Amino acid sequence: MGGMTRSVYVLGAGAHPWGKWPDKTQLQLAHEAMNLALGDASLAWPDIQGLVAASSRFEGGMGWGLHANEVVQSVAEQGIPCINVGGACAAGAVAFQTAYALIASGQHDVVAVLGAERMPKGFIPRPPGSPDDISDSDYLRWVAMGATNPAYWAIEANRRKYDFGTSDETLARATVMMRNNASGNRLARFRAATSVEQVLASPMVADPLHLLEICPVSDGAAAIILGTEKYTRKTGHKPVEVAGCAIATGDFGDPARRIPTVSTNVLPNVSHTSEVVNAVNRACEMAGIGPEDVDVLEMADNTVWHLLSWPELFGFYEPGQGDWMLDNGKLEIGGQLSVNPSGGFLSFGEATTAQAVLQICELTWQLRGDAEGHQVPDATIGMSAVLGLGANGGSVILKT
Amino acid sequence: MMAQQHASTPVVEGLFEIVAGTPKLIGSRCQACNNIYFPQSLSCRNPECRDKSVEQTFLPHCGTLYSFTVQRYQPPPLFRMDHWSPYALGLVDLGDGLQVMGMLTRIALDEIIIGMALKLVVEPLYSDAGIGEKLTYKFASAEGAWAG
Ligand SMILES: [Zn+2]
Repeated sequence: MGGMTRSVYVLGAGAHPWGKWPDKTQLQLAHEAMNLALGDASLAWPDIQGLVAASSRFEGGMGWGLHANEVVQSVAEQGIPCINVGGACAAGAVAFQTAYALIASGQHDVVAVLGAERMPKGFIPRPPGSPDDISDSDYLRWVAMGATNPAYWAIEANRRKYDFGTSDETLARATVMMRNNASGNRLARFRAATSVEQVLASPMVADPLHLLEICPVSDGAAAIILGTEKYTRKTGHKPVEVAGCAIATGDFGDPARRIPTVSTNVLPNVSHTSEVVNAVNRACEMAGIGPEDVDVLEMADNTVWHLLSWPELFGFYEPGQGDWMLDNGKLEIGGQLSVNPSGGFLSFGEATTAQAVLQICELTWQLRGDAEGHQVPDATIGMSAVLGLGANGGSVILKT
Repeated sequence: MMAQQHASTPVVEGLFEIVAGTPKLIGSRCQACNNIYFPQSLSCRNPECRDKSVEQTFLPHCGTLYSFTVQRYQPPPLFRMDHWSPYALGLVDLGDGLQVMGMLTRIALDEIIIGMALKLVVEPLYSDAGIGEKLTYKFASAEGAWAG
């Protein structure tokens, strides 16, 4: 990337457990995550020089997505910049990238990143003010065909079965692996072990995807404190450096079924899920590494299809090889590539704007050796990958 | 009491037209680079296209099934359908690099095969005493007993 940039380190990470928390407000979840991250960094609010928060459209933020301002006003009015960033389910990665740039540029020395989310009950409502006409893809997909989000993912999964002969048992095994990983992670919501038979016996939602193969929604909050080398030496932790971080959008001609559109322009030689592939490629370039160097991948597993396909799209191995990797335990904790040792979205449920921040917390703990109960042995390089509405992709690479 | 008569209309305006008895989806075609879009678009989206002016076009009404799913749960209330039961949603390759999603019809759920030839049809989705019958586009098998 060149230029005069400073190295940036993760000073502290903290997360509230994922679940349903009807007795806590979004703001309380945010406070708890921030306090945990500050404590982990051995810092306090007076040390924070800026706060970047992922904007949610569900709760908090005074209706304008001002989640950083709301937190600062409720705990430490100290004149610092508050930056609120959109990116839907990738907003946490956009927030991280923003905070990284504030430090790398030399503008600030210690900046916090926050994502805190309480999800609505039942189906997610359309945003207020959306037009009820054909110009609104979200309206069109509902009224013309009732296409639910799982239907989009199921169409991808069915095509994978056609292209590579992926079996229903292999798809189910991805959930089994995520639950096994989550069993040792106290932050995960679904920690009970399950079996291929139990997954396949859960209700079919959209063929070939069963209920246990699709991530539900959860409430949760995660925070990270970033800072310079001088500050990381004071924390007492093994230093964890941001080796690469990038956000990106999609490419024209990407064959992915993009929620909520009802058509796709498909061009040859354009990556599937290009927004995330672009972010991963740029983060790798910045870090000077390739996928073969990565020990831990924390990726957005909205469904089991994502777990099989995304590492292939990122170049970890050949298209179609994911089935063999999964079936032979190569993606488990301590395998050739540890995928979602946290338990992933399938074991957490998605707390949209907080999810990408949680991924980076998890990588931090893995690289330090602090991932109690689900530690990947000798992990030194970790990568995150996340996708959000609007063709937002984000990826962060940490190293120790 | 006189029942008010309503014509059958598309579930959303601008979705399709019946041209000489054949239903056609309404899209846009870029006058410069020839890419087609569905539904109608404000602009060409090809990043290499410098002109970007689009005109209305009808999409091809035949294609092949690229992939599909069966929705086993009833979608939220913005979707209305009389006599709901699980139904198939297909992703249909219409050629010219365009794939369109839509409901599949007149095919048994266990007889849907990726690669099968499909044609565009229009069918009622629901009717309402106040607004009449609402139609949506679907894809039906282009072969066998259903053809014609
Ligand atoms: Zn054009």
